[in-house]
Amino acid sequence: MIEKALKGSRGYWAWVALLLVLIGLGISAYARQMSLGLGVTGMGRDISWGVYIAQFTFLVGVAASAVMVVLPYYLHNQKAFSKIVIVGEFLAVSAALMCMLFILADMGRPDRVLNVLRYPSPHSMVFWDVMVLNGYLFINLISGWAVLGAEKKGVPPAPWTRPLIYLSIPWAFSIHTVTAFLFAGLPSRHLWLTAVLAPRFLASAFAAGTAILILLTFILRKVASFDAGQEARNKLAVLSAYAGVANFFLLGTEFFTAFYSNVPQHKQSLQYLYFGLEGHAPFVPWMWLSLIMGLVSVGLLISPSIRRQNSWLIAACVGLVLSIWIDKGVGLVIGGFVPTPLEAIVDYVPTATELSVTLGIWSIGLLVLTVLLKTAIAVKTQE
Amino acid sequence: MSNRISTILAFVIAVIMFVAAWFFMQSGDGASAPARAEAPVAAPKEVPIDSTRCVASTEWMKSHHMQLLNQWRHDSVREGNRTYATPDGRHFDKSLNTCLGCHASNPMFCFMCHEYANVKPTCWNCHISPMEATK
Amino acid sequence: MNQQRRDFLRKAGLGALAGIGAAAGMLPLFALEKTDMTVFTDKPVPGKVRWGMLVDTRKCREGCNECVVRCHHDHNVPDFGKSKNEVKWIWKSRYEEAFPTASKQFQSPDVENRNVLTLCNHCAEPPCTRACPTEATFRRWDGIVSMDYHRCIGCRFCMAACPYGSRSFNWQDPRPAVKELSATYPTRERGVVEKCNFCSERLVKGQLPACVESCAGNALTFGDLNDPGSELRKMLAANETMQRKPELGTLPSVFYII
Repeated sequence: MIEKALKGSRGYWAWVALLLVLIGLGISAYARQMSLGLGVTGMGRDISWGVYIAQFTFLVGVAASAVMVVLPYYLHNQKAFSKIVIVGEFLAVSAALMCMLFILADMGRPDRVLNVLRYPSPHSMVFWDVMVLNGYLFINLISGWAVLGAEKKGVPPAPWTRPLIYLSIPWAFSIHTVTAFLFAGLPSRHLWLTAVLAPRFLASAFAAGTAILILLTFILRKVASFDAGQEARNKLAVLSAYAGVANFFLLGTEFFTAFYSNVPQHKQSLQYLYFGLEGHAPFVPWMWLSLIMGLVSVGLLISPSIRRQNSWLIAACVGLVLSIWIDKGVGLVIGGFVPTPLEAIVDYVPTATELSVTLGIWSIGLLVLTVLLKTAIAVKTQE
Repeated sequence: MSNRISTILAFVIAVIMFVAAWFFMQSGDGASAPARAEAPVAAPKEVPIDSTRCVASTEWMKSHHMQLLNQWRHDSVREGNRTYATPDGRHFDKSLNTCLGCHASNPMFCFMCHEYANVKPTCWNCHISPMEATK
Repeated sequence: MNQQRRDFLRKAGLGALAGIGAAAGMLPLFALEKTDMTVFTDKPVPGKVRWGMLVDTRKCREGCNECVVRCHHDHNVPDFGKSKNEVKWIWKSRYEEAFPTASKQFQSPDVENRNVLTLCNHCAEPPCTRACPTEATFRRWDGIVSMDYHRCIGCRFCMAACPYGSRSFNWQDPRPAVKELSATYPTRERGVVEKCNFCSERLVKGQLPACVESCAGNALTFGDLNDPGSELRKMLAANETMQRKPELGTLPSVFYII
């Protein structure tokens, strides 16, 4: 089937070439990081995780959100999703792949990565995260590929695909829950030390992930003349809207608990992110942009008459994705380190090397997604 | 065809069981070993070092020194079991320094052979090599 | 027919072998031969000793940095200055940095300006070892939270988990930044985490930790927290002491007299 990705228009090849150039840039930046050490990034003794782990956190959510099409289609027989299920599954594959690459890029000794399997440590959340992320990638790749292959041959999918697909549903919840537990179990990092972190991760994932899916259907309609259907988009927009409501509600509860209880440790990270702390306020405009853009987008998505107009729908989805990307892909991870355990306020600025690696990994993910979707669409449209 | 599948299955099951057996034995012997009341390394007992002869024969050491060093590292760093008893009853401290106690007399001892065999162990990335120590 | 029989016997035999192997592993009591492994080891009994330290901040001299210098020299700690890549095992913090949750209102200026020696607390319930995915950092039999530099993958989870900022990562090659190579302890490689090891390399020789030995003001007391007769325990009983962030349940083994 993969040979179908080798036939394409000029535009397709130009896009692939662009991605390959960006991947090359990322690899050269990573080579620099490998030879000089992680000191070439903006991370340091106090802010010991940066863009990489933040992107990882955001992308786990994108991966998990495939469940928002798989669950209605396979458990509730929502026929409207028949064309978009495979898009969701392949989006999950590429997002899970990017997650793993970001973890690898963040490691000081990536050559020793197999130590995680050689010395399995169930007390460590990282161990579980490696397990569930790998599992999720393969479940989606295998089941998506098998169903697509059957469709190509014009036969019903093999019977073993069904249990695998059912398994992917709780598995999607597990990947993001475990990712939240990576953070939520660390004492003295008060922005993360909260029981609503896992629910908030799930809510923001389902909001941003489904919004990305909607945007993908528009892109596919434009560049590949493949329309997943207006009904599918509308249903996804509703899911995205309510997931967004849940996300901002949970964020609100964080603010209430921190500021009403008035416990300094609980307030400080939120103060740093949203209001500035002791004169340090690098994230304040971003966080407010995220908050306002997110709330407006959710408002647009909730209104049925607005979300049925495609231009508004696109705007709202872009707004929501950006809002959650800023909140989760920047603020949450970096804000969690401020103030440091010794009450210092340290600012973090990513370096060009770090950003190039990040761009490279995103490009690898987009290339994988492009190839997978190209194959899927070729099969679906019987080219 | 089905015979082949069942052979493969039997093999896979056997492998899983062996792995399981190994795994449980690993965790088993730690738990079943009776705890011995003995003073730990609070004031560590002196390990009398007999350094007139190596811990093992030259032949064996040539082929196995890396395994021995790995085992020693595991025992002393992770288990706190620092005394190595040779079959003929001599005792040694499980430490790279025990080796260097004799072999550092020739600072090229490790390097000569590794150069010849074109192997690049990473030991001296961190441990202070006899070459550096003599500087 | 014959071929099938042979196949069956071969598989059955293999299965039986595997079964015995698995049973022997799962039920150590039924193992064919039992060996008391302790005969061959002198493995210390875990938990019998718990090393601890008491820092008397009243005796710690202003401007004296002897313990820091000595420790960092002995352990080949690289010197990157006060940069984001800084590596440190032991250092002086201000009172409110070391004890951010302690009472600070209307504190006496003497305490407020006091420098407090901070290092790894060698917690009895360390969050860092829990977070480590490879057991590269682990709590030893004698309570020391130890690092296995050979195993660390550099994920920095332990750094995020440590509530005391006691862990440092090698953001760049540390060797060139070691001013004077000491033969007493190895250096580290780029990409692994390191921290205070309570001088386990000295303890094994029966010596006190380097910082304790180097302190001219006798501000540091080292000993076995599990031994009620130890000097350390007597001093803990006789003085009012503090631990850093006790509310987190990490049970630090480093105590402070303010």
